[in-house]
Amino acid sequence: MKKLLLLLVPVMVSAQVGPKAAALSSAVTTGGENLILDPAQLLKPATDSWPTYNGDYSGKRFSSLQQINQLNVKQMTLAWIYRAQAGPGFNTIVGGTGPDAPPVAGRENSFGGLQIKATPLMLNGILYFASPDNAWAVDARSGKELWHYFWRTTGGIHIGNRGVGIYGNWLFFETPDDYLVSLDARTGKERWHVQIADVKQEYFSTPAPVIIGNHVMVGTGGDTLDVPGFLEARDPETGNLQWKWWTEPLKKGDPGSETWPNEASMRHGGGMTWMPGTYDPTLKLYYIGTGNPQPVETGHGREGDNLWTCSIVALNIDTGRIVWYYQVSPHDTHDWDATQTPILIDGTFNGKPRKMLAQASRNGYYFLLDRTNGEHLVTEKFIETMNWSNGVNAKGQPIPNPAKESTIDGVLVSPNSTGASNWPAPSFDPETGLFYVDSNETFSEFYLTDTDPQPEGYAAAERNAGGMGNTLRALDYRSGRTVWKHKYPGGGGSAGILTTAGHLLFTGDGSQNFIAFDPANGKILWHAGLAGNVANGPETYSLDGQQYIVVGAGDSLYAFTLAQ
Amino acid sequence: MFRQHRVIMTAMLLSTALAAQDQPKMRRPGGGAGMDYRDYDAATIERGKSAFVANCGFCHGANARGGESGPDLVRSAVVIDDENGNLIMPIVHGGRQTQGMPKVDVSEKQLADIVAFLHEGVRAAAERGTYKVLNIVTGNAKAGEAYFIGAGKCATCHSVTGDLKGIGAKYDPVALQGRIVMPVGGRPGRRNSSPIEVTVTLSAGKVVTGTLERIDDFTVALTDAAGEFRSFARHGETPKVVLKDPVQAHFDMLPKYTDADIHNLTAYLVTLK
Repeated sequence: MKKLLLLLVPVMVSAQVGPKAAALSSAVTTGGENLILDPAQLLKPATDSWPTYNGDYSGKRFSSLQQINQLNVKQMTLAWIYRAQAGPGFNTIVGGTGPDAPPVAGRENSFGGLQIKATPLMLNGILYFASPDNAWAVDARSGKELWHYFWRTTGGIHIGNRGVGIYGNWLFFETPDDYLVSLDARTGKERWHVQIADVKQEYFSTPAPVIIGNHVMVGTGGDTLDVPGFLEARDPETGNLQWKWWTEPLKKGDPGSETWPNEASMRHGGGMTWMPGTYDPTLKLYYIGTGNPQPVETGHGREGDNLWTCSIVALNIDTGRIVWYYQVSPHDTHDWDATQTPILIDGTFNGKPRKMLAQASRNGYYFLLDRTNGEHLVTEKFIETMNWSNGVNAKGQPIPNPAKESTIDGVLVSPNSTGASNWPAPSFDPETGLFYVDSNETFSEFYLTDTDPQPEGYAAAERNAGGMGNTLRALDYRSGRTVWKHKYPGGGGSAGILTTAGHLLFTGDGSQNFIAFDPANGKILWHAGLAGNVANGPETYSLDGQQYIVVGAGDSLYAFTLAQ
Repeated sequence: MFRQHRVIMTAMLLSTALAAQDQPKMRRPGGGAGMDYRDYDAATIERGKSAFVANCGFCHGANARGGESGPDLVRSAVVIDDENGNLIMPIVHGGRQTQGMPKVDVSEKQLADIVAFLHEGVRAAAERGTYKVLNIVTGNAKAGEAYFIGAGKCATCHSVTGDLKGIGAKYDPVALQGRIVMPVGGRPGRRNSSPIEVTVTLSAGKVVTGTLERIDDFTVALTDAAGEFRSFARHGETPKVVLKDPVQAHFDMLPKYTDADIHNLTAYLVTLK
């Protein structure tokens, strides 16, 4: 019976195969000389460049650049606009295994038109970024395209792509149909692609690969068909698997299995890894927030805490073994992935220096942990409307109120499934000591639609209710309490946040404005109206002594700099 | 520190704007899934279900979600990856002796129906945009009426013999309950009903009023009584802008409602035919 049970579950080892195409014939590492990015550079915080998704491994999205600052920000002006054209064009390099006419369903879920959600990497004067099925290189001084690569897809939800990773001269990005594709960053030509998951099981992949040493960190997403999540480290030369960490225990008796009723539930338990993590090079720990358990919006059939879903986990970078975990939403039933960036903060707590980690989680709570061992330090609500928990337990974990789990006749829950915060990047400014997050005070009705004792998929329907709006918040990292907040009068968008040593905070509202705030008090210092809402996390870099601020809005990148 | 700011803008439908990994569109094609699922006709699915129950249900459960001795087939990679029976048929006809599954003697035609039934099960789970909300009228209409005229303060603005006359016939219960917690559709200024009134006091003391078209930190735009579109630059608190939203009370109630209040109200409004 046990064997039979194993037989028809999603194939968990399918990804452990070699690349379809061979690596370059020569055995040179990283692509020879004049490397675009020596991975060792990533061990030091970046200054002039933007070499990894969050700018550096800490996830702070704080830049030490200060040429653009509070005194001169009003002189900031447009340097260039680059409008990206997805799909095959005249000079496009085409790859992928799909048909010429792509499946309709996945594109229906692309939210209308190209949205640049990636944070471009900027190295040696060139920006590298991706969108679902597309990757580009663009001159960071002029906004002119150098190359464009297009991947013919076989399907998958085309909701977004967070960007690329670079190791030496090799560039990596993930596709909605679950391939890891490696390009030569100098030319855009494909080196190889490897399949990491089965798109037919509704996995779809959006993270920007993070490069750590010779590990390419690869995660995936997919909430639709009750599949297990995983995180992989892959070889940058070949794409071969180095290790794979499943976000749930694999069998009864394994650590964590006591938090599931049976093997079937844990093997179909979700816990996706759809955001890039952060990394402490001294501790050699990779930190990642995991997604919600499945079925998504009911707890029937998966009674228990459901480890390691909705958790912040620390993995040994060389082995993929879990070193510690902290579950921020035990037994989640509202789609509140805990995938928000776990920001690494070195500071003091109760008067003592500590290595910490902070997350403003989708469930509406801010968490502060000791990142050496996962010790809980702080839990604090960061939206006032939240109504789903019965407080927190001795470990600071929220206690879900069972009355707020989906019912046939509906329950009113705040926040809605989009959450109090979501993937748009938060930021931590070490100079103000404030943690910045875009927050949403929303409500939804959750209706249970699948009354089977073994529900599947989402198992519930959500209908949006009203809300109290969207607020940019500055939280005291030591307490999680809101020090200042700015409510967007026309509603918020899904913009990430950048802070700089120029005492500036950059983000966007839901009315197509790109805005600079004073990070100390929330005062607006500058803004520009764009042709779309800010869709990514703004970034900054310096070339030839000139600082640029680059932001993605709709299908375009906008670069700003000081008027000369 | 946690001063609850008054909500000056109501219809913050941010969840539709926040294109996160969370809320695919609620309609077919796609239905919230990433793959194109085949549509089988209802008769085929029904035949397949009968054949499945008769031949497979004993082990795999009547709805194919697993039984005493057989696994859940809706979540099965074999079923999900199967195309027109290419993976399922050999297993059914050949059995999997080592895993304890016998050969099953069903005709090609019956098996094709069973395959359709299984694929429909996968599609129905995957396409959440097609999930059907069930019977939500569980509340107590009497209690709902008392809430309407009492604690809910609904009667302050509404009348069951006036604007809400026949409301139970106009909307189905799910829509009715939806209108209680989300009284408007669309974004500010583009709502089909209940426009937001805006008053802009210019520095010279000149006052302009109208219907709000849009507002952000930098501009406010309105249509005035003459039907003219007008917009004004905003610099912090200048000019003074006051919004009046006729459905603000609904939003103010959100943190106060109990779920029973909402269910009772729905049960009451359903009776207003």
